[in-house]
Amino acid sequence: MNRKLLGLVPFLIFIFLCVFLYQGLFGNPRELQTGRLGQTMPEFALPDLMDSNKVWTADSLKGEVYLMNVWGTWCPTCIAELGYLTELRERGVRIIGLYYEQAYDPDFGDQFDINALRADVTSMLSRAGDPYQFNILDLERSLALDLGVSGAPETFLVDKNGKILLHHTGDINERVWRSKFAPIYQELTQ
Amino acid sequence: MKYLILIVFMFVGFASEAAEDKYNFATPERAQTFRELTHELRCPKCQNQNIADSDAVVAKDLRDKVITLVNEGKSKQDVIDYMIDRYGYFVHYQPPVTPATIVLWVLPVVIIVLGFGFIVFRQKRAAKKQDWNATDEQKLAELINQYQRQEREL
Repeated sequence: MNRKLLGLVPFLIFIFLCVFLYQGLFGNPRELQTGRLGQTMPEFALPDLMDSNKVWTADSLKGEVYLMNVWGTWCPTCIAELGYLTELRERGVRIIGLYYEQAYDPDFGDQFDINALRADVTSMLSRAGDPYQFNILDLERSLALDLGVSGAPETFLVDKNGKILLHHTGDINERVWRSKFAPIYQELTQ
Repeated sequence: MKYLILIVFMFVGFASEAAEDKYNFATPERAQTFRELTHELRCPKCQNQNIADSDAVVAKDLRDKVITLVNEGKSKQDVIDYMIDRYGYFVHYQPPVTPATIVLWVLPVVIIVLGFGFIVFRQKRAAKKQDWNATDEQKLAELINQYQRQEREL
């Protein structure tokens, strides 16, 4: 009897390894969670992309549930998800863009041309759909760093009190919205 | 030809020195801290590269942040905590001991202990089998008797 049980051990180890490795097949190593999850939005004061005189802060965003979508016109996946995000906007989801400028680096003496960027963004949004209430320009990527953003697109779900509830790396589509965002979003907006 | 090789090597030497001097720090200790940190912190974009090695935008941003923090006089652990706050434990190459990661430390020990335990157990059992006591003797005698009886009957 004992011997029979002992003989099962290699088999059990094999099953355990199979389950472990099988999970690995479908895991996405790029799916990183920010260390900010469950905390409130970090403090910031950044200009509106379209109007430099307008300054957005963490406090000014409070009061409503919103998605903060990190994007840039240089990022093909961001462009691809604009259509679906626009659909979400039409369904009443408040989406705020955090414009992640990749090319700008003052260390290399880059001159930043805000007008060219505005024209670029406007034409892109008119072509692919405009899901944003407004865009925040994070030229030095300081808010992005505070949020633990590693690239674009990334999306945060933030509640009325400015608490970060969800961090998604990669594009948002019907499947991702239904499985990941919708349950939490519906609970928040009920 | 020899001289040419020598000259080439001299240039290689200069190049690496230039790379070291790209960042300025008030003290050599800070430069050392920076060097250690950029080798220990992991790039969130180009996974399996540290931030010294990676060319991703986010790696450059993290390097710049490390420089700023080190120049403010922050300790190595302060900077690591700052990054973990934002990017999670993923960003540091040394995982902390938490309930989720404890298995990394415990499993090797458990396997070694079990392995040695198994060897000892088997040896003890094997040694026990070689014992020859009165019951065995009696059983043997019985078997011999039985056999002899069978022989006689035939």
